[in-house]
Amino acid sequence: MSKRVLCKFFAHGACLKGEHCEYSHDWKDPPNNICTFYQKGVCAYGSRCRYDHIKASQAQSSIPSSSVIENHTVVSDTGAFGNIITTSNGVGTTAELSLSSSPYILPSEPAWNHELVWNPEIEYYEILGEDNVGQSIITSPSEISICSFAAAGNCPRGEKCPHIHGDLCPTCGKHCLHPFRPEEREEHMKTCESRHKYLDALKRSQEIECSVCLERVLSKPILAERKFGLLSECDHPFCISCIRNWRSSNPTLGMDVNSTLRACPICRKLSYFVIPSVVWYSTTEEKQEIIDKYKEKLKSIDCKHFDFGDGNCPFGTSCFYKHAYRDGRVEQVVLRHLGAADGNTVIAKDIRLSDFLSNMHLR
Amino acid sequence: MQASKARLFKEYHEVQREKTADPDIQLVCDESNIFKWTAFIKGPSETPYEGGVFQLSFSVPEQYPLQPPQVRFLTKIFHPNVHFKTGEICLDILKNAWSPAWTLQSVCRAIIALMAHPEPDSPLNCDSGNLLRSGDVRGYQSMAKMYTRLAAMPKKG
Repeated sequence: MSKRVLCKFFAHGACLKGEHCEYSHDWKDPPNNICTFYQKGVCAYGSRCRYDHIKASQAQSSIPSSSVIENHTVVSDTGAFGNIITTSNGVGTTAELSLSSSPYILPSEPAWNHELVWNPEIEYYEILGEDNVGQSIITSPSEISICSFAAAGNCPRGEKCPHIHGDLCPTCGKHCLHPFRPEEREEHMKTCESRHKYLDALKRSQEIECSVCLERVLSKPILAERKFGLLSECDHPFCISCIRNWRSSNPTLGMDVNSTLRACPICRKLSYFVIPSVVWYSTTEEKQEIIDKYKEKLKSIDCKHFDFGDGNCPFGTSCFYKHAYRDGRVEQVVLRHLGAADGNTVIAKDIRLSDFLSNMHLR
Repeated sequence: MQASKARLFKEYHEVQREKTADPDIQLVCDESNIFKWTAFIKGPSETPYEGGVFQLSFSVPEQYPLQPPQVRFLTKIFHPNVHFKTGEICLDILKNAWSPAWTLQSVCRAIIALMAHPEPDSPLNCDSGNLLRSGDVRGYQSMAKMYTRLAAMPKKG
């Protein structure tokens, strides 16, 4: 059946099924490199996907572009048996025909005994095995995947490994950088670095205590409370629930809202908003990044006060949430400049009749 | 409720751990009620309260630390900002300038600071306040010293 599709485990040098594998262990057979998620519509990896993003209908024509050259005959001589088999991936490949038409070759020895020679002058790999001496498979080095053993730690085959051993990533310390795929390298370095930075910050944040409940913020018993509440104007750490509780508590005993409740409990600096964050920051740039991310996220959420134009948001233009009408139009605020009696210019917005009525004295 | 208890337990452990950190303050929790505390503070040196040991009672509300604890002097003290009869203390951080970052320990420290620096312009004890406001520092000091000796020092003989 699917003997004609190259076994991907074999290709990586580690098929446990050996001779009993239902996929082909012959380097001459084409690998099935079509992304199944792409077939269904959406692949989360997008352009970074290691599988081919081609539609099944185009699959046949685009196979030659993949790493192995097709070297067997198709369809024509097998009319009677020529039923196209749909693989579990939902991809019909005409290459999968009845066994009688072109017998596959069982590998007489495991893949790692084949010798792969990298010839830098003509830029192709030659597989030198007993069955296919002299047959060369032309492929550019960037299409050969890197050795997953080497990437994970160490490769038992060492120098003899048929796959490329990736270069060492300075951040994660793994041999996972493909020497011939510059975009992939860059992508990995970038994600690896930001991941590393995040983990580092998370590690540092473990020790930080909230000054209100005196507990370590990231060790609080309730999962939802394991978050910092950053104050916009100072750098004192609190957990989000503590600082929000304090800021929203009722001003009793003549407490002033601005000088007491909205001020930092430690330094009494007035902050107008609190930013939730899972990690604590160590530099002002990091703090700014957290704030920007938070604001950006809020900008995508519709403001419940504005209510698609039906309501009235007390925060007006400085609201962090999205002010858009039902048809998707974003609210445009036109500022009206009024010349006041004393010669100053006043910016007026939302003038209502009631504003004038309240100042009127009935006689 | 739960938050206030958790926080008070934290403070209790902190007090147990650092018993010797501040020799002027001795905080004791009521054995059956974590919302009731007693503190013994030493009168600051170079003040008329020097040599005295003053007892304070703390009554912690359930909304603590969002609301300040109620603190009273149990030992009689002659001080412009302490009510002579009830022991009530006039201190901004126990009223409108409270912040949840304060702890019982730091409140004790604030009270010691208040003893060293009386604020005669917002008196609870008018006699004491008037003495200071009229510039009779000597009169205030001798009165305060007398009450310290009478109430806050172990009786001799």
